[in-house]
Amino acid sequence: MAVFIQTVVAGILMGGIYALIGIGMTLIMGVMKIINLAHGQLMMVAMYITYVLYEHVHLDPYAALLITMPCLFVLGAVLQRYLLNPLIKVESILPENQVLMTVGIGMVLTELARMIFHSDYKSVRPPYTSMSLYAGSIAFNLPMVIAFGIAVLLTIGLFLFLLKTDVGKSVRATAQNKEAALLLGVNAERITIFTYGLGAALVAAAGTLLLPIYYLFPDLGGAFTLKAFVITILGGLGSTVGAIVGGVVLGVSESLGATYISMALKDAVGMVIFLLVLIFLPGGLKRLTKI
Amino acid sequence: MKALRWQVAAIVAASLLFPLVVRSDYYQHVFILALMWVVIGSSWNLLAGYTGQVSFGHAIFFGIGAYTAGLCATKAGISAWWGMVLGGPMAALIGFVIGWVCFRLRGPYFALATIAVGEIFRLVAVVWRSFTGGMQGILLIQTFRSKLPYYYLALFLALACIYVIHAVMRSKWGYYFVAIREDQDAAESMGVNAFRYKSLSLIVSAFFTGLAGAFYMNYMAFIDPEVVFSLHHISIMAILVGIIGGVGTLWGPPLGAFIMVLLQETFRSSFFGLAPRWVSELHVLVFGLLVIFVILYLANGIVGDWGKIQRLWSSKAGGGAPAAGKSS
Amino acid sequence: MKKLLCVALCLTLVGAFGVASPWAADTLKVGIILPITGAKANFGEIEKLSFEMALQEINAAGGINGKKLEFLFEDDTGRPEVARSAAEKLITKDKVLMLGGGYGSSETFAIAGVAQQNRIPFLVNTGSDDKITEQGWEYIFRLNPPVSEYPKALESFLTEVVKPKTAAILYENTNFGSSGSQEFKAICERLGIQVVVDEGYEHGGVDFKPILVKVKDKNPDLVYMISYVMDASLLMRQAMELRIKPKLFVGGAAGFTLPEFPKNAGKAAEKVFSATLWYQTLKYPGAMDYYNKFVATYKKDTEYHGAEAYAAAYVIADVLKRAKSTSADDIRKALSETDMMTVFGPVKFISYDKKTNQNRLPTYLVQWIDGRLELVWPKELATKPYVYPIDWDAVWK
Repeated sequence: MAVFIQTVVAGILMGGIYALIGIGMTLIMGVMKIINLAHGQLMMVAMYITYVLYEHVHLDPYAALLITMPCLFVLGAVLQRYLLNPLIKVESILPENQVLMTVGIGMVLTELARMIFHSDYKSVRPPYTSMSLYAGSIAFNLPMVIAFGIAVLLTIGLFLFLLKTDVGKSVRATAQNKEAALLLGVNAERITIFTYGLGAALVAAAGTLLLPIYYLFPDLGGAFTLKAFVITILGGLGSTVGAIVGGVVLGVSESLGATYISMALKDAVGMVIFLLVLIFLPGGLKRLTKI
Repeated sequence: MKALRWQVAAIVAASLLFPLVVRSDYYQHVFILALMWVVIGSSWNLLAGYTGQVSFGHAIFFGIGAYTAGLCATKAGISAWWGMVLGGPMAALIGFVIGWVCFRLRGPYFALATIAVGEIFRLVAVVWRSFTGGMQGILLIQTFRSKLPYYYLALFLALACIYVIHAVMRSKWGYYFVAIREDQDAAESMGVNAFRYKSLSLIVSAFFTGLAGAFYMNYMAFIDPEVVFSLHHISIMAILVGIIGGVGTLWGPPLGAFIMVLLQETFRSSFFGLAPRWVSELHVLVFGLLVIFVILYLANGIVGDWGKIQRLWSSKAGGGAPAAGKSS
Repeated sequence: MKKLLCVALCLTLVGAFGVASPWAADTLKVGIILPITGAKANFGEIEKLSFEMALQEINAAGGINGKKLEFLFEDDTGRPEVARSAAEKLITKDKVLMLGGGYGSSETFAIAGVAQQNRIPFLVNTGSDDKITEQGWEYIFRLNPPVSEYPKALESFLTEVVKPKTAAILYENTNFGSSGSQEFKAICERLGIQVVVDEGYEHGGVDFKPILVKVKDKNPDLVYMISYVMDASLLMRQAMELRIKPKLFVGGAAGFTLPEFPKNAGKAAEKVFSATLWYQTLKYPGAMDYYNKFVATYKKDTEYHGAEAYAAAYVIADVLKRAKSTSADDIRKALSETDMMTVFGPVKFISYDKKTNQNRLPTYLVQWIDGRLELVWPKELATKPYVYPIDWDAVWK
C-alpha cells in the first residue's frame, strides 16, 4: 500500500510541473491551431536565464519568475510577430508551415544555447532543493509541492483572466471562431502575438520552477515538448482546467506505469494514452467536463 | 520536355560516373549518405508533399527496415542482404497498420499521432532486449570493402524511388493524392476513397523508407534504436530535407538531401580544414537558420520557388539574364 | 528547374574537390575522433583537452624522432554515421597514420569498422562495449578495460567485506548501461546474490521515485546503479528523500566519480561507493601531475576519461617512435609490441578469452567521504579506510 500511495503522490507532484508545461501549449494550440514544437526549447531558454540570474546575481529561482516570465513573453511575441505571423500570408502547399517553422526555431534556440553555455550540465541548488515534507513514510518533495501550488495559482489566474478581461475574452473569441472574432473587431494578429507571448511566459514559469528539481543542458527541450502536447490533447485544446487535469493524469499514469509495468516504458505509457485519447476521445477531457 | 529529359540523363550519367572519377572513399561515403537521404526525403514527400499527410514518424519505417535486415542476420541466420528484399514489404505492412489507426486523424493531429507511434516503436526496440538486442544494438561485418557496390545500390534505390514517385504521380493515383491534399472532403464527395488512397501513398512511402533502412543496416553494419528510430535525426530530418528542397516537387527532396548532407559535412569538417575549428560547431545552427529562411521566404522550397529565386536574382543583378545567376 | 540540380551538383563538386588540404611533410598526423558537439560533448571536451595537453608536452620534448606530432580532431556528434564520415575523411583525405579517440560504443564500432577495412590502426580509449575487441579485428586496440571488467574491484570488496544477500540493479538504457547491468547480474549470480530489482530507465528522467519506491519495498542490501552524472545525482537525492537504506549504494563508474556528482546531489552523495578505472592518487607515474596540471591549465576538473585520453596520446607517441616506418603495418606491429607505463597504468595489448589487442587493467573502488572522492579498495592502495557499515540517518541528517 505504501508503494502505491508514494507512487501516486510522486505522480501528482510531477503532474503539477507537467500542467505548467502544458498550459502554455494548450493556449497556443487553442488559439492558433498550431503545434508549437519549440515549446520545450522556450522552456530551456527560461531555465538558462534563471541559471544566469542565480549564478551571477544570486537571485532565488522563485524570485526569478518575475524576470523570466516577462523575458519569455517578449521573446514569444517577437517570434510570433516576425517569424510565425508572416507565414499566414505566404501561400504554400502545406498548411503545416507554421509547425515546421517552430521546428526550425527550436533547433536554432538549442544551438545558440550550446554556443553560449556549451553542452555542460548546469544546475541551480538552493538549500531547500532536497527538503521534503513527510506524512508518515510518504515523502513530499518541497520544491515540487511549491511548483504544484504555483501551477494551480497560475491556472486559476489564467482562467479568470480569460473569463473576465477584455483581452482574455478576445483570446477566447479568436480560439472559438477566428472569422467571427475578426468581424467583431478583434485584431487577430495582435491576439496571436499576445497569446504566443503568454504561452511562452507560462512555460518560462514551468522552466524556472523545474530548475531546482532538475538540471539544465541545451538539448533538454525536445522531451518536454512531447509531454506538453500529450497534456494538451489529453486536456483538450485551449482548456486551462483541462491542462492541469491532463498534467496530473499524465503524471500519475506515468508513475503507476513505471512502478507496475516497467520504468523503461514510462514514456511509452504517456504516448499510448495520448494515442487512445486522440483516436477515441477527440477533444480530450474537455469534452467530458465541458469547461 | 525534351530539355528536361536531357538534364535527367545528364544527372544519371554524372552520378553513374561519379565514383569512377572521384576515387576517394570519403567523398563516396558522403554521396552514399546523400543518396540514402534522397530516398528518405522523397518517400516522405510522397506522403506529405503530394498527399498532404505530414508525417513526423518516418523513422518508424526506416527503423523497421533496418531492424528487418539486422534481425535477418542475428535471428534468422541468413544474410542481412535479405533485408533489402524483406525490409521494404515489412515497413509497408507496418505502414498500412499505422495508417489504419492514424488516418482517421487529420492535419496536425495526424502529425502528432505519428510522433507518438514513433516514440513507442523506439521505446519498444530499447526494452525488448531479447529480440532486438536493446541498446546494445546489432553489429554486423560489412560485406564489401569497396564503396562501389554500396554507392551503386544507393544510387539505384534513389533513382528507383524518384522514378516510381514520378510514375505514381502521373497515374490516376497521383491525381487522387493531390485531390486529397487540396481538399479531402471535396475529394471524397467526388467519390475518391480518401482512406484507400492515403493508405496507398503511405505504403509506397514506407516501402522505400524501409529499403533505405535496410540499406543503412548493411552499409553502416551497426544499428541501435536511438540511431534508427530517432525522432530528431531521422523523422524531423526527413521533413526538413523535404521543406528545404520543396514539398510536392519531384526534385525538391533530392536537392534538399544533398544540401543537408553536404552542409553538415562542410561545416563539421570546418570547410575541409580551411576555416577555424570553431566553425565546425555551427553545423546544426546554420541548418536551422536555413530552414527558417526557406520557410519564411521560399515557402515551397528551393525547387518549388525556383521561379521566384530567378526573378529575384535577375532583378538584383540589374535585369541580367537568369543564366547569369547560374553560372556563378 | 532541373538545371538547378545540375548547378548545385557542380557547385558542390567544385567546392568539395577544389580544396586541397594543407600538407606539411614533417608532421606525423594522427586522427582523433571524439564527440565535441551533441549530447556527449561534455566528456568529449575533457578528452580533447587532455589530448591537446599531452600533444604540447610531446612536441615540447622533441616530438617523434625529430618530427612534430599533430592531432587532427574530428567531431562525431555522438552519432555513428557521422563518426563513420569522420573516419573516412581522416583516412582517405587527411591520410592520417592511425586513429585515436572513440567515445560512445556505437561510434567506436562505426570507426573501428572503417579502420579495420582500410587497415589503419585504431587505438580506442573509451568505447567500452566488450564486443569491440571481440571481433578478431587485428587493427583495433583498446586501452581501457571493457565494461564487463569495471566492477572487478567491487566484486572482491563484496566477497571480503559486505557479503550482501540481495541486490537491486538500476541502469540507464544505453549500450553502456545495459551491457554493464548484464555483467553485474552475472557477478551476482556467481556470488550467490539474489537480484530483486533489475530495471532500466530512459536517461534524462526527472522523477525516479516510481523505480525507487520499488527498491525501497524490496529493501535490498546493495543498490548498484549505472548512470551518468545528472541521473546519478537525482537518483541519490530521491533515494535520500524516500529514506531508502540499503547496506551500501554503489555506482558503476561513469557519473558517480565526476565532481558534478556531489555538487548536484549534495549530502546525498556522501558515503556512496563507485567502481572506477582510475583515480589521481594511484601510484602511477605522473597521475597526480596530470591531474594538477589539467586543473591549473583549464580551470576545471578532470577524471578517468581525461586520463584515458592523456595516456592514449602518450601511447600513440611511443608507438610512432618505435615503428620502423610510417606504414600501417609497421605501426600496427609497434602497437602490438607496446609495453609502457602511463598515467592510466601499464599498457600492454594482449589476447584473452574472446578478446584480442585488449589492455588489461585492474579497477578500483572509490567512496565519497566528507565531500572528497577517496580510493578505498583494494586496501593496500587506499587513500582512506572505507566507511562501512554506514549509518544513513547520521549521514543524511
